[in-house]
Amino acid sequence: MIAAERVAGAARTFLQRTRIPRSEWISVLCASILLVALPFAFHLDGHAHADWLQFIGRLHPALLHLPIGLIVLLPVLEIAGAKQAALREAAGFVLRAALALALPTFVLGYMLAYGAGDTGAIVTRHMWGAVALCICLMLCLLARPAWERERGFAYPALLSATLVALLWTGHQGGTITHGSDYLTRFMPPPLRGLFPSSGPEGANLDSFYTRHIDSVFEAKCVACHGGGTEKAGLRLDTYNNLMHGGKDGAVVVPGKPEASMLLLRVTLSPGDTHFMPAEGRTPLTSDEISSIRAWIRSGATATAKSVPGVSVTEERADPAPQPVGDYSQFMPEILHMQQAQGAKLVPVSAKASDGLILRTVDIAPSFGDAQLAEFKKFGPYIVEAELGRTAVTDACFDTLRTFTHLRTLHLEGTSVTGRDLAKLSSLAQLSYLNLSGTKVSAQSVAPLRSMPALHHLYLFNTPAEPEDTNARSTP
Amino acid sequence: MKQHPLCTDCEPELDITGLPIPFGLKREWSAVETRRQFLGRSGKVLGWAALASLLGEAALRGRASNDAKNPVTPQGRNNLGLPHFAPKAKRAIYLFMSGGPPQIDLLDYKPNLASQYNKDIPDSVRGNQQLTGMTAGQSRFPIAPSHWGFKQYGKTGTWVSDLLPYTAKMVDDLTIVKSTNTDAINHEPAIMFINTGNMNPGKPCLGSWLAYGLGSMNDNLPTFIVLQTKTNPKENNQPVSSRLWSSGFLSSEYAGVGLRSGGAPVVYLEDPDGINRDVRRKMLDALEEINRQTLAEVGDPETNARIAQYEMAFRMQASVPELTDLSKEPQSTWDLYGPDAKQPGTFAYNCLLARRMAERGVRFVQVYKRGWDVHGDVVGVLPVLCQETDRACYALVTDLKRRGLLDDTLVVWAGEFGRTVYSQGGLSAENYGRDHHPRCFTTWMVGGGVRSGITYGETDDYSYNVVKDPVHVRNFNATILACLGIDHNRLTYDFQGLDQRLTGPQPAYVIKGLLA
Repeated sequence: MIAAERVAGAARTFLQRTRIPRSEWISVLCASILLVALPFAFHLDGHAHADWLQFIGRLHPALLHLPIGLIVLLPVLEIAGAKQAALREAAGFVLRAALALALPTFVLGYMLAYGAGDTGAIVTRHMWGAVALCICLMLCLLARPAWERERGFAYPALLSATLVALLWTGHQGGTITHGSDYLTRFMPPPLRGLFPSSGPEGANLDSFYTRHIDSVFEAKCVACHGGGTEKAGLRLDTYNNLMHGGKDGAVVVPGKPEASMLLLRVTLSPGDTHFMPAEGRTPLTSDEISSIRAWIRSGATATAKSVPGVSVTEERADPAPQPVGDYSQFMPEILHMQQAQGAKLVPVSAKASDGLILRTVDIAPSFGDAQLAEFKKFGPYIVEAELGRTAVTDACFDTLRTFTHLRTLHLEGTSVTGRDLAKLSSLAQLSYLNLSGTKVSAQSVAPLRSMPALHHLYLFNTPAEPEDTNARSTP
Repeated sequence: MKQHPLCTDCEPELDITGLPIPFGLKREWSAVETRRQFLGRSGKVLGWAALASLLGEAALRGRASNDAKNPVTPQGRNNLGLPHFAPKAKRAIYLFMSGGPPQIDLLDYKPNLASQYNKDIPDSVRGNQQLTGMTAGQSRFPIAPSHWGFKQYGKTGTWVSDLLPYTAKMVDDLTIVKSTNTDAINHEPAIMFINTGNMNPGKPCLGSWLAYGLGSMNDNLPTFIVLQTKTNPKENNQPVSSRLWSSGFLSSEYAGVGLRSGGAPVVYLEDPDGINRDVRRKMLDALEEINRQTLAEVGDPETNARIAQYEMAFRMQASVPELTDLSKEPQSTWDLYGPDAKQPGTFAYNCLLARRMAERGVRFVQVYKRGWDVHGDVVGVLPVLCQETDRACYALVTDLKRRGLLDDTLVVWAGEFGRTVYSQGGLSAENYGRDHHPRCFTTWMVGGGVRSGITYGETDDYSYNVVKDPVHVRNFNATILACLGIDHNRLTYDFQGLDQRLTGPQPAYVIKGLLA
């Protein structure tokens, strides 16, 4: 009781000192109580309500940018007002206008969520952010006249709080509309590295579900059925949530695609009111639908690695090529050497950093280890060495190991024996090695299996050739 | 009266600028013109000379500095700045099925047609599609379901006709495009269109654009080689002419070099008795000297092309016998390609040659197989066509794959258009015919740059209209160029006042869904 009296006393002194009229603070208090009480009176329970609510609520995105603009304008006017008094005078009006727009925006937003039955952590956060923002704005309005007379910290602090609340609320709103990774998705890779990405938790990274089902939901469904918004109480962001279903029950019946609500809703005609994804968002492609259908038919497990009758040849992604740096300073030398020797260094593309190809086909029979050694100087710029059917021998590996950016190496039809293949292990980017038609044995290619980037190893017509001659050998 | 360029006592000197030839050629001409030619011509008039001393120097300086920046390497065309981006495929093999293969009997499975045998195709499906003269007179258009069954193959579960048992084995590698469509309904315009991007002759074909843009990988063989398959008299063979591998307005160096389908692959390739390599060399040196004089006098870039072609022919005397000598092929090759491959001129033989050319750095090989124009007797002729090509296609792809060549070789299988679902002529339980159909046809690609194991695009229940992801021939060609590192909008050549390109002046798009 004493504490409450003390707070009341302090507030009274504050109000007297700042000369805030009673009518004003009482109305602000009432409005704040109303704002805070609204979510309790009309609980966001995940059920859709009257259509007219959504009808009006959909104006929320149309309206919301106006108060944002005005609020951002406020500090600018206040600061610039130090020099030009007229601007500070305008700030008062802008503040009132911002509040006058923020309140209806909040109400529209609430109608939208309530009408459409949106729930979920992000929607809730967005809502409370907006409540805080509106209250902050009203407090700013109360504190400003005193600040105009005698400065003080109350108003600047409140204005800062308003801006923080704005940022927070806006971010949540963006997440609802564009998905949780809307900031990072198109960020340049170096920047993106700063943000820890959350992989699918606990899921088997190699499973059909993770690779082909979850990725579809991630791209096309979770904006409305995810951790942020849970329309119809359904979340598709994890396997467990998917199998749990929504407020109308399970959406996936393992083994029975035709009985699975999920499949039914995405295969309706696009004009149907129950068609998903709703509201003109990108529909699922027929490939995606057939993947989902086959996955459900095969039991809808989280762990199965493949599903019978379905598509998907895996593209094993080769690592992004590393730029090799600019070789243009060597160009005269390179040209001179080409003329003298006949082997060519050809740019991969117009972009110098894509590197050079060593091409020997014109003089292959006379191109040996000594000729190769002459290219040592340009080694770091060579990404591909076409040495097929040349006269190089096992000694070539001493030169080749200095081609640090080498990604593709053709040695087909040469006399290499494979004795020194281990010397290639320092070439971290080597992803293609062709030893077809050489005398390499299974034993001598064994060291290559430890090279992580080497995805394409060709051993056709060698003693090391795998049993299945048509198979592309991938270590 | 026209003067011979070598006639030294002619009164009016031959002046390229006055000749009624395309502006582009004149410009190209002036680009290869030397200072002597320029000054020699302009020295005729004092004013010209003054201008020449001002402009000529500047122009020469400009060119010299360009050269330092973009040195022309022996293989040629680096000054074009190509490839525009790092290519997935370095070379391509184009298996051209001339005549228009019937997609409904091969890869575009339409299970619903069986129940509609001999019913008329709904007008709503046919729409306002133009008909050829061969079916325009028909009173009805009865649906002819495929005579052959289809089964699902591979991990992808792709439906393939029983006619293509070998193709069925590689469906998991293929990029099947069911929605290719073209503008033309008759052979000549359609085959010109898919090859050159224009229905009228005179434009360079895909291979010439590649030769021009990317240059040669092997100086001893042509950059662009065309192989024709011997015709089978049982089939309805439409003519295939050298217009299809013409370089159009590009220098004739970039035209396809056709190898003969029977006898010696290149005629008069061997030196006659009594002429050895040295004599031949001396003769060519002298010939080149004369040609260079002509070039100095007239400055026609085609003279350059001629000099280059003589040199190429000389080198081919050594390289072609090695190329076509199949005696060192291992037994596994013959097991794969089958006995046909030992017969020169068969499609299987050409596929084997195409693989050998790919190994030797030929940039673009186009293999033509005629006879797909099945207006009648589909049941009789189609099995023959499939027997001739199915195994060879599979063998080529498999061979490239096991030798590690498929990673950077793009293989394309296409005809100029598709065929109708309705029967041309009488439909009976045993037989039917199919007319030309431009609105949809099935093609496939495999190898460097394309996504393997997918089927792209969908047609309606009658394989008549594309209902999803259409791939117009323009976009098909743009996508092929993209696989080879070329932006189709930037590989252009100024001719007749237009930045000419393979895809023509209309907008064309790379089909991203086809790319790996």
